[in-house]
Amino acid sequence: MTGSATVPDTDSTSKDSVQELSQEQLSQEQLQRRSVLRFFGAAALGCGAAAAAATAVSSQAATAIDKPEIPGYDWNQHHWGYGIDATRCIGCLRCVEACKIENNVQRDAHHFRTWVERYVYLEGEERPHIDSQADPVNIAASGSEKEYRFANRYKDAKVDKAFFVPKMCNHCTHPACVQVCPVGATYKTEDGVVLIDHKMCIGCQYCVQACPYGARFFDDRLQATNKCTWCYHRITKGLLPACVEVCPVSARVFGDLKDKQSPISKFLRDNRTHVLRPESGNAPNCYYVGIDKEVS
Amino acid sequence: MPKHIVRLLLVMVVAAVLAYAAKQFFTPKSFYQFGHYRGDSVAEIASDKPNFGTPKACEKCHAEKYAQWAKGVHNQLDKGKVVKCEVCHGPSSSRDVKGPFDNVATGKEHPQGLKMSIPADSVKLCTLCHEQMPGRPAEQRQVDVAGHAGTQQCTGCHNAHSPRDFGAVTAVSRKGDATKGKALAADCAACHGDTGFGKGLPGPNLAGQKEGYLAAALKGYKKAGGRSNDMMTGMVASMSDTDMENLAAYYASLSCQSARDGDKNAIAAGKALAARCATCHGAAGISSQPAWPNLAGQASDHFQAALKGYRDGSRKNGMMEKVAKELSDKDGANLAAYYADAKCK
Repeated sequence: MTGSATVPDTDSTSKDSVQELSQEQLSQEQLQRRSVLRFFGAAALGCGAAAAAATAVSSQAATAIDKPEIPGYDWNQHHWGYGIDATRCIGCLRCVEACKIENNVQRDAHHFRTWVERYVYLEGEERPHIDSQADPVNIAASGSEKEYRFANRYKDAKVDKAFFVPKMCNHCTHPACVQVCPVGATYKTEDGVVLIDHKMCIGCQYCVQACPYGARFFDDRLQATNKCTWCYHRITKGLLPACVEVCPVSARVFGDLKDKQSPISKFLRDNRTHVLRPESGNAPNCYYVGIDKEVS
Repeated sequence: MPKHIVRLLLVMVVAAVLAYAAKQFFTPKSFYQFGHYRGDSVAEIASDKPNFGTPKACEKCHAEKYAQWAKGVHNQLDKGKVVKCEVCHGPSSSRDVKGPFDNVATGKEHPQGLKMSIPADSVKLCTLCHEQMPGRPAEQRQVDVAGHAGTQQCTGCHNAHSPRDFGAVTAVSRKGDATKGKALAADCAACHGDTGFGKGLPGPNLAGQKEGYLAAALKGYKKAGGRSNDMMTGMVASMSDTDMENLAAYYASLSCQSARDGDKNAIAAGKALAARCATCHGAAGISSQPAWPNLAGQASDHFQAALKGYRDGSRKNGMMEKVAKELSDKDGANLAAYYADAKCK
């Protein structure tokens, strides 16, 4: 909008000829502007009304349904928890392989939803030697990036103490990854699982950096972040997560915290457990038994 | 209010309404249904198809193997040690992957279209859990593979479905016919005695020995890289597998005798040593498994010669080579005295 058009009378000393000329143009211009504004105003009103109506309808629908449509499953009835007894783990890595197959994770040495770390304290040394199945020495021992095996590399060493620690997403109560996601692609479900909506994820990887446990990785096939779901597709069907199902020594325990007779409730009653990095404030839900202070 | 402010406000209102409309249009329908995320994604993730099943599903068709497994040490629920079928055989259904990450619930399933894997290399498989390694808890059974069985496959002795069951060897040998075996035994008598009891003759006592062990031993003389003994190799040269099985059945059917005339001190010393042999050869020298020999009633000379054979490598068996190397000649003599004296009936 030009100054002369909106306030035509302010410059009364202007030349009449110019004023007359512009007056004629002005009336036409103003008409056009008015119609355009009216059109936009109406359109905006219409859109607004439609949007409001849609919101009203969807909010009505939302109040009617309080759980996702999963056959035979009500997420209000469960709250899942996970226990890991490192004193039982034998480092066979069946969990790692089963997870990759069950969840279609890349069969290579760089992408893992769950993994196992080995802590070895040698005589006379202060800090432990730590390796996982992805270590080149262990990959060489397995013979392939698709299979996993811990190489017997400390066979002839003087070992003070050694143990294996399975790790994975801790499905925190206050997950930092969910906090930082700018698009609502990762979230905490009512039954205590942190999930990723691969369709919403824009691949910014804020969550990968926010996770204190390194549990997330960027999946280049998806162009999205990927991580453990506690096998949500299995637990909602009454099955155990694949890693728990195949663990031959019950080092991994899973169950419903709302059920006081479930394996995890029993695990928490029978053991003195603690969690990884409690100081991070994420309130993780994987409870560990038998790990040392170096494990975090 | 000045006109230009009103107009400005109007423009802002219009922009806000348009932005709101655009947001309504672009936000997925189920977003905010349960929270700041797409509500539908929960059911989408939950709809994925499981790949791993449970052992119960295997029982229907593989009842025999299932029963072996269910009774064996790979299924000790009370100890929390359960090695389920799919741990070794892989998952019983597979993914159908369309596109980069689109798992659809149409993957093949066993037995339709999907074959379960049967591990070819049992050493590679079993050592995943049982290789002796720092970090494994003490209660986990662990072996030093080279010392335990050399390069033999674990399944050569162990039943994979029930590893403390050692029937694997005898399972392959047919039960022989003792009557036919008797006719063949005349040639053996010069060294093994008429009754399979040598009384000072050079060969081992055979009477009452385990049939599976005898058959496997005879066949071993014919096998390249098996047993080596010039006399025995000549004896079995003309025999068929059936002949050897019949012979084994005959000697197994005879009743054994112990010497009962050994040195008392040596017998006592041998008894103390024998505890470590008991796992396989029985507490009293009567083996629990058809594939392994009884030691009770065995001739003392033969027993010592066999141990020496394992020590110098002329007899081959991963487990026995390891044991023999840990025993002195004196230990061998004491053990021989104990077993020669032990009641074998």
